[in-house]
Amino acid sequence: MQLIMNKIFIIFVFLFGYLGYSQDEPIATYKKRVLEQTEVDFLMSYYSQDGDNAAVTGGIGTEELTDITPTFVFSIPLNEDDVLTVDAGISSYTSASSSNLNPFDVSGASNSGEDDDDEDDDNDRVQNGQASDIIGSPWVASSGASQQDVWGSITVDYSHSSDDRNFIWNTNISFATEYDYTSFGLGGGVAKLFNEKNTELSAHAKVYIDLWNPLYPTELDSYLDVDGDLDDGFFEDVDILDQNGNISTNWQPINGFSLIKDKGRNTYALTLSWAQILNKNSQFSFFVDIVQQQGWLGNPMQRVYFTDTENYFIGNASSIPNYTSKQNKDVFQLADDIERLPDSRFKIPVGFRYNHYLNEKTSLRTYYRFYTDDWGIVSHTASIELPFKISSKFTLYPSYRFYNQTAADYFAPFDEHLSTDQYYTSDYDLSKFSSNQFGFGVSYTDIFTKAHIWKLGLKNIDFRYNYYKRDTGLTANYFALGFKFQMN
Amino acid sequence: MKNLIMIIILVTFFSSCSTVKEYEKVNLNDPDMALTQMQIDRFETNYQVYREAAAGANGGKSGGGCGCN
Repeated sequence: MQLIMNKIFIIFVFLFGYLGYSQDEPIATYKKRVLEQTEVDFLMSYYSQDGDNAAVTGGIGTEELTDITPTFVFSIPLNEDDVLTVDAGISSYTSASSSNLNPFDVSGASNSGEDDDDEDDDNDRVQNGQASDIIGSPWVASSGASQQDVWGSITVDYSHSSDDRNFIWNTNISFATEYDYTSFGLGGGVAKLFNEKNTELSAHAKVYIDLWNPLYPTELDSYLDVDGDLDDGFFEDVDILDQNGNISTNWQPINGFSLIKDKGRNTYALTLSWAQILNKNSQFSFFVDIVQQQGWLGNPMQRVYFTDTENYFIGNASSIPNYTSKQNKDVFQLADDIERLPDSRFKIPVGFRYNHYLNEKTSLRTYYRFYTDDWGIVSHTASIELPFKISSKFTLYPSYRFYNQTAADYFAPFDEHLSTDQYYTSDYDLSKFSSNQFGFGVSYTDIFTKAHIWKLGLKNIDFRYNYYKRDTGLTANYFALGFKFQMN
Repeated sequence: MKNLIMIIILVTFFSSCSTVKEYEKVNLNDPDMALTQMQIDRFETNYQVYREAAAGANGGKSGGGCGCN
């Protein structure tokens, strides 16, 4: 890996040197503003998915999820050379699998508005119902606080262009938060244009300082709350069943379960890119990201079950033989542990984009990415899009995307890990799979911005739809709508 | 050998470029020819970052900033 990085670095140094030598002298005449007028983008997407491999319930269970993301982007010219961009949005989602952080809410037994956190999980979980009423299932969404959440983010970017527009630098800060996660980001970069703006080389760096506010599967943090006493707190008067449906007091998480000690998660990313005009009708760009992540890289909500330990359940004993079936609506298997992953991950994605202007109606947009990391994942991504202008104002965007990946070294399906493993996860996002995505879009453009809302002229409306299907069974539908306004 | 082939392709590709003047860039300046990701496609990249282990090298996130991979 180090050898590859060195070679990539040498190639970029060579190109910077060669292109710098051949740079033309800038001719300063009329200085066009980098951005003529303030622009406002309002974007919104709706995403829904379903599948049978929820990570929160150990690799089986409903993955039903919906997400809505309204976002505003303000691009403000501060003067001829400088642009300030403010990007603010929220993401409001409802997730069946996240709701099963506490699956026993499905019984109503613990539906008391609690916060699903690692504190105060005691008798109130059972106060509203009889112990024998407590049921749950990986195939049924519960009604706990974790079933829905809002993720909010804001990014502020400042960019400056030189007088000849051949050198640009930018810096940005970002902040994002959701109920179990907070992120602070800082970034910046430079871009240099050569050969009459036929070539652009750029380098950008980004650092994310993230912090988990970890939420754990309810039976695990409850186990810690009562110091393993299965007659106390959450477990008081609750029958724990073994594989044969007999009442048992033998369940315990692997090694007694331990909370996360290091809640930080830092990401350091360096992006190098090269964009090149080939001729009057075609151009390409080449990207390399070098990414190092450190800290807690797993998700503390995600359960793992071991094949070499006894299984224990809460709920209806007669449903235990059909536990992995969708017909199971009333029994839940107690976790052995949460997923455990290395505290370091090194990623190298390499991307290549090639666009060709076929004729005045049609263009070809292509993209390929190779990805590898030190968790054993190798991936290929390829996509093609054919924008087709049906009039001066309307363009259609048919597209197709293929993706595949190998499994992480630490992945195994439900109940197949060994308790002797150091690292383990049953998150199917880290499994081996391939996916196909079919897309369609339409764009309306009015360069004269005739339609107005207040002082904003409508410049562009975009719509996109994608159908996404993984060979693991997960399917998703995605809609996006965007309006671009220009201040008059 | 693979690295050598890659370098040859890069150098050949680069050396075959002819300089295109500003007034000849009409087709290249078409918004559909942009080498960056379109604004409307940002959400698509976001859900792919969550659902797939690979990320980055596309102008979007390559990790961090979310509880995703």
